[in-house]
Amino acid sequence: MSVDAKPTATLPQYVGARVLRVEDPEFLMGRAKYLDDITLPDMLHAAFVRSPVPHAEIVNVDIEAAQALDGVVAIYTAADIEANTTGPFVTALPRDEIMPVTRPLLASDRVRFVGEPIAVIVATSRYIAEDAAALVEIDFKDLGVVTNAEHGLTEDAVQLHDDVPGNNIAHIEFDSGDVDRVFDEAPHVFSKRFHIGRVTAAPLEGRGVIANYNPGADHLTIWSSTQMPHFARTLLAGTLGMAEKKMRVIAPAVGGGFGVKSCLFPEEAVIPVASRLLSRPVKWAEDRQEALSSSAHAKEIIMDLDIAVDDEGTFLAFRGNYVGDAGAYAIFPWTSLVDPLLAADVVAGIYDVRHVSYKVDSVLTNKCPAGPYRATGQTGGYLLRDSLIDDIARAMDIDPVELRLKNCIGNEPYVTATGFRYDGGSYAESIRKVCDMIGYDKLREEQAELRKEGRYLGIGVAPYVEPTAWGSKSAQKHGFPAEFYDSASVTVEPDGSVNVTVGTQSHGQGHVTSLAQVAADQLGVRLEDVKVLDSDSDTAVYGAGTFMSRTAVVSGGSIMRAAADVRERILALAGQELEVNPSDLEISNSTITVKGSPGKSMTVAEVSAVAYFGGERRGEVETLTSTRYYDPPETYSNGVIAAVVEVDVETGHVKMRHFAAVEDCGTMLNPMIIEGQVAGALAQGVGIALLENAVYDEQGQFNTASLMDYLYPSSNEVPTMDLAHLVTPSDVSEGGIKGMGEGGLVGSPVAVVNAVADALSPFGVTINSTPLRPADVLAKIEAAQAGNGGR
Amino acid sequence: MKPAPFKYVVPDTVDEVLALQAEHEDEAKVLAGGQSLVALMNFRMAQPSVLIDLNGLTSLSGIENGGPVIEIKALTRQLEVERSATMTALPIVAEALRHVAHVAIRARGTFGGNIAHADPASELPALMLALEAEMVATGPDGERVIPAADFFKGYFTTSLEPTEILTSVRIPTKQPGAWAFMELARRHGDFALAGVATLLDVEDGRCRSARIALFGVADTPVRATEAEAFLVGKDPVGEVLEEAARITAEALNPSSDIHAPGAYRKKLSSVLVKRAVTAALNRGDMG
Repeated sequence: MSVDAKPTATLPQYVGARVLRVEDPEFLMGRAKYLDDITLPDMLHAAFVRSPVPHAEIVNVDIEAAQALDGVVAIYTAADIEANTTGPFVTALPRDEIMPVTRPLLASDRVRFVGEPIAVIVATSRYIAEDAAALVEIDFKDLGVVTNAEHGLTEDAVQLHDDVPGNNIAHIEFDSGDVDRVFDEAPHVFSKRFHIGRVTAAPLEGRGVIANYNPGADHLTIWSSTQMPHFARTLLAGTLGMAEKKMRVIAPAVGGGFGVKSCLFPEEAVIPVASRLLSRPVKWAEDRQEALSSSAHAKEIIMDLDIAVDDEGTFLAFRGNYVGDAGAYAIFPWTSLVDPLLAADVVAGIYDVRHVSYKVDSVLTNKCPAGPYRATGQTGGYLLRDSLIDDIARAMDIDPVELRLKNCIGNEPYVTATGFRYDGGSYAESIRKVCDMIGYDKLREEQAELRKEGRYLGIGVAPYVEPTAWGSKSAQKHGFPAEFYDSASVTVEPDGSVNVTVGTQSHGQGHVTSLAQVAADQLGVRLEDVKVLDSDSDTAVYGAGTFMSRTAVVSGGSIMRAAADVRERILALAGQELEVNPSDLEISNSTITVKGSPGKSMTVAEVSAVAYFGGERRGEVETLTSTRYYDPPETYSNGVIAAVVEVDVETGHVKMRHFAAVEDCGTMLNPMIIEGQVAGALAQGVGIALLENAVYDEQGQFNTASLMDYLYPSSNEVPTMDLAHLVTPSDVSEGGIKGMGEGGLVGSPVAVVNAVADALSPFGVTINSTPLRPADVLAKIEAAQAGNGGR
Repeated sequence: MKPAPFKYVVPDTVDEVLALQAEHEDEAKVLAGGQSLVALMNFRMAQPSVLIDLNGLTSLSGIENGGPVIEIKALTRQLEVERSATMTALPIVAEALRHVAHVAIRARGTFGGNIAHADPASELPALMLALEAEMVATGPDGERVIPAADFFKGYFTTSLEPTEILTSVRIPTKQPGAWAFMELARRHGDFALAGVATLLDVEDGRCRSARIALFGVADTPVRATEAEAFLVGKDPVGEVLEEAARITAEALNPSSDIHAPGAYRKKLSSVLVKRAVTAALNRGDMG
């Protein structure tokens, strides 16, 4: 079977075209290699001994019986790892409010959540490693637990870390405008509390590491299912005390990340240590139990918001309080602030409000550490604010769409009360468009008709602004003072084909296609002449990795800059060869022509042959390669999600009927890839709104360590969807590109929740938590009925 | 999630299976479709030292229409039963099977394995109660026939002896004419929060007999015997049906888990009974 791509050279321009993903044939034919598909000669297998208890002193670890098991090669505990690393992970940020949090690579004297690694078994098979793990005996002394973030802040709460008194990683306050005065004088103040459930991204492929230390070369190769091979190398080099030049980190085909794999986990340092000690390759591929209990959880925040409103429904001020549930450690290296701080600081959204204040806490609890997961923080922030806005609309008898349009900012660039500069968008237009798509007015009529039959249809409309292109500027504006470096190299090879390398790893986003589109357009070559290489620290240029909707902008921009250099050199060489001024030349379809003289031309391959093998004909022209860096300004995409549901009021079951979404991410690289991103995020939104919950009981035991209990949405639960685009190019980024990987998950959960509340508006139901199990919905209906005299 | 070590044997005959069971008793487990057992072994919640693979026993597979009963051999795949022409005589069976997990799982999972596993939230055990089927156990002393009502003893527990295996299921073909099968699960294919199988014999607007079996609401599937008795002689609509549903729920005391509190399951049971009886009446005769 031939997998040669069809020629795409007839397209006038690649950027913006629905180019088929060039990486797909390998995946569809089953030829892509994921981490667990990799086998090395002499390879050993690791399993971790994990804590069965949530918070305890480790009194004794007895590995004798495990060590005696046939096939066990080594068992390492905290002392072994400490002796062979420079120290534990310390998560910190250069902000005065933030306490550094230390996370041991293996727990030594104390465990702080169910699933925390205590020892690692290295054996000739994973089966034997697990048999041995079951033989390790550990004596614990119970220390009591914190399982609720607000309880963790109370005076008599159990303390998790001696160096973080009060269990609070950070208390941050923000105040802009004249918030308290506006609230004092406002004719109406509406308030709401919302508790977004704890979830986990749970990519289909879990985490995994293979480390292969070669003592002859003193070189360590690490295969890791990561979103950031280069940055992981930098972080691991510090922990392992090795020079980066002696380390190579390769991300093989990665089966999803969603933010989990933008963190560095203790296991990623422990496995290389084991390989170094044994001088043999060691593999660890986590199982689903480990993925659910011990990777990263996300999004749980207990939040309160007040909105001051005038008599006409104009929002005057927002005042919020966000208590994030960090879990047992601050995720490395981003900190657990990523949830509550981003939930708080996006409080303005599309709304024109000049008086904004918020308080943020990030509280340690005896749960799996919380970290970034698609639309980090924002999912919760939007659930709170936009469900409150729907409550206000009902209370003031204003249509919720009208209320949003009334308070919406204009399309031109806008600086929020929180100091973010939006680079223009289609904030109101996108709302009108989504309403057209779902037939909003007709749906309202249908809703009224169905209610007469005792059927309850609901509509939720959630507009959003998505901060994207996480680089130094975006990070700093959102409260994470850090500097980022991302680059791209563009090289024309001797035959005229083009190798592009970037430091932003693709794990499903289609970068190999969309970034090739950028390079092809900028160079004037055919798409099939371009190859994009990422994910290997030895062969691709350095970058911080793929997360926070950054790659299209940072790598796209870097490629545009590097390709512009190379194009200039191609034109200079062609000018010499054709004896014309380079400014009279143009490149298209991998051919250089002279403007106005169609007969006079050269191919890029011919120019490249001169560049490589032309000897003196090359003249002063530099090699056909360039590496350039791009650290973009803040850029923000926008969009709207509309959800339509029907609620069975006898059982509380919510049936998803339809989604519609409008996405405006400026210049589109590939609309098909954008639609794939939106569709996936909408599906995850169904999960967060209705299904997914990482549940701990009051004793801190984890109750959802299998996919029978942690419920992903399956294709049966995801409804039909209509997706559309608007295009408002950024006025600041290279090419007008904005990121867009997360917006669907900023808006979809609250769209669903608002649709449920809308369906149940005859009962007067207010929704203030997720997920909405049938039992929860029914309880809400019954409580509302009881409160209204059994109406 | 790798199983603990075990010995794996593939016998050719039922007698060999019985001999192995007699030898290893509680230490042995029989493997049919493996859709529940293998997961339990991977979680190390089941750690048999001997795994007896039944999949070589072709004599244990197939569906036979024996006139008054249809006999489904235990190893027949669920999907085969669901799609069997013979089973169109009892359409409630295919309807129930469509609620069992997903097609891929039903293609491997066996009819008898599901019943012998005796998950109280599973569809088929309740269906067997409703159809008043008989379980055929084979042991060292030959065959023993156990009515469904005596078969399910508790969570994952049946009246099978450790020396016996379930070899077939006999379902009477003469069944009440009106039927319905309903459940509510959080996702399609999940174990139900609660579910009901009902069969009614209605003549001239009067219930001559009613069978209502529920699952997901107790440690075994249960018959709503009081509600069934209440319905006899009455027109099962309106307030009569409301009362039957209320009686059904009143007799239940479901336990709670992360998917729903017991009190919710109780309420859901009454809603499902109302809906199922109504659907059965609307559907009319079986088939």
